[in-house]
Amino acid sequence: METTEQVYIREEGMIIDPTPKSLWHYSWKRLKRNKLAMAGLVIIALLFIIAATAELIAPFNPNQQILEYSVKPIGFKGNVIIKKMDGSELQYIPIQNIIKEDNSKVYYTDFSGSEANIDKSELKGNSQKEWNKELTFHLGTDRFGRDVLSRLIFGSRVSLAVGIISESIAIFIGVLLGAMAGYFRGKTDAVIMWVINVVWAFPSILFIIALSVVLGKGFWQAFVAIGLTGWVDIARIVRGQFFSLRETEYIEATKAIGFKAPRVILKHMLPNSMGPVIVTGTVGLATAILFEASLSFLGLGVQPPTASWGQMIFDGYKYIIAGNNWGLAVFPSIAIMLTIFAVNLVGDGLRDALDPKLKR
Amino acid sequence: MTAYIIRNLLYTILILLGVVTVTFCLLYVVPGDPARIMLGQRADVQSVEAVREELGLNKPLYVQYFRFLGKAVQGDLGRSYSTNRDVVETIIDKFPATALLAFSALIISAILGVMIGIISAVKSYTALDNASMLFALFGISFPTFAFGLIMALVFGFWLKWFPLSGYISEGPSYLVLPMVTLALRPLAIIARITRSSMMDAMTQDYVRTAKAKGLSAGKVIFKHTLRNALNPIVTTISTSLAATLGGAYFIEYIFNWPGIGLLAFDSILKLDFPMIQGTVLFSAVVFVVINFFVDILYAVLDPKVKLS
Repeated sequence: METTEQVYIREEGMIIDPTPKSLWHYSWKRLKRNKLAMAGLVIIALLFIIAATAELIAPFNPNQQILEYSVKPIGFKGNVIIKKMDGSELQYIPIQNIIKEDNSKVYYTDFSGSEANIDKSELKGNSQKEWNKELTFHLGTDRFGRDVLSRLIFGSRVSLAVGIISESIAIFIGVLLGAMAGYFRGKTDAVIMWVINVVWAFPSILFIIALSVVLGKGFWQAFVAIGLTGWVDIARIVRGQFFSLRETEYIEATKAIGFKAPRVILKHMLPNSMGPVIVTGTVGLATAILFEASLSFLGLGVQPPTASWGQMIFDGYKYIIAGNNWGLAVFPSIAIMLTIFAVNLVGDGLRDALDPKLKR
Repeated sequence: MTAYIIRNLLYTILILLGVVTVTFCLLYVVPGDPARIMLGQRADVQSVEAVREELGLNKPLYVQYFRFLGKAVQGDLGRSYSTNRDVVETIIDKFPATALLAFSALIISAILGVMIGIISAVKSYTALDNASMLFALFGISFPTFAFGLIMALVFGFWLKWFPLSGYISEGPSYLVLPMVTLALRPLAIIARITRSSMMDAMTQDYVRTAKAKGLSAGKVIFKHTLRNALNPIVTTISTSLAATLGGAYFIEYIFNWPGIGLLAFDSILKLDFPMIQGTVLFSAVVFVVINFFVDILYAVLDPKVKLS
């Protein structure tokens, strides 16, 4: 048996829907039928899970250096002796093979081929299984011998965090200024439009770079620099929405009743402008992730040793040319591309889904 | 028309004033003393004082501002901290390289982008349309620097078809990789905007009329639909051009192309503040001036624009 709702979906006619629901309800229905947008949502959800569980799923500590294993290829395997925990980091001794062990010591050939030994009391655990392992670096290692896969996994945190926080800053400023311009018009609008046009004139990326140089390198500086440039698009959209909303009868009614501006703006006009803001915000999120990667690429974003995709690309580029490990630059490039691609898929899907004119 | 141009010109000047002000602030909110940055940490107090005197850094901020504004209007943005060359002169020197790259890339993206957009709109919701639009979405999702690196890796390093980096004076093959890399993003944006703008126009009554009276598909598409869909397409192309003419930053950096973008990056890495100001200001001015001309172009093409 089909439910009423299913009949409605099958017939694709909103008018015959017996129980009217909100725009959000229908939008979600439409979004769910958009396969590409759903694929984008799944990728984003996966990225969030990866970022949240990085400690559990990453095979290595992303900052763990094994200098002997500098710039090793994809799938590199290395035989190591593991020492006792020193602080929170494991200590690895890369070896070629173990020669023998007696009651107190282990004798081995080290990475360079000379013989060495180590006291058993310094080793992790009691059995050879615990202190002698073959490590696999699925995507190879970088120049400090750090695991590329683990750094990719941890790098997702930076991209998502900077993307979301800086876009939130952008949306806050954009909605505030756009709403003021659209509601009060006149001089307020003229001044805000002037600011918008001035900021718009600067090439965003150069402006962000210049701001980061001025503010100093780092995580928070990247948020602020990206947020301070991204609000322009949001402000334009909100302003445009408010311009047309102000002409509608229900907004006129709120004024006739005598509601104050903040109430009209927050309770009546903003909720009705949210669709385009969400779509623009999604595009902005993709752009913010892109800008963060660009900043890190120049060494102006998150500072080492924190893993960030942009910085990994920059570090890895030299090894493309040297020919040792092209993956060092290519994998983080693909990670960034895929993330932005997924966000854009969802953005496109939302644009279609939130447009009440499109019934498809 | 004259009134429209004058009004636009005045507004453009007002925006340029804002642009110069923001650029001024960039240098003067920097923590630390520009004179000391310029001379290095080891400089003695006398020479630092001398430079402060020369640059007017010991004057109140508003005096410095008007001094900066006055000089900027005359085309004087000071000298580079690192090379001591005149900033404006250096930028003019580097401009042809950037212009060559920007124009050649934009011509490719405009032609291909509009073509892909038209085909997508005409064959909408087919496999061809889906594939083109996925490609376009891919194009706007790929960070320029990452795409540039992969282009360099595949065509420069593995296949060795094109040189990895260098300027066109060494041969036209040096232009290929940076040009293609730069073209991707505007191409994708133009294709998307062309498609949606064409789709909008195709639902209009006059297009239905054109079809109904039996015009050929080509005539309907190019004479009736494309012409009416052209406005947003022209805006997108000119905005892209205005943005790239100020320097294709990452591409010039990756391919070592000696344009404004490379100059900007170099000066950022060296903390050469007058040069940073110069390149930022230059890009913004190019953007504003091109948009001014595009606005006038609109008014010429579409008489309705003047009235709004």
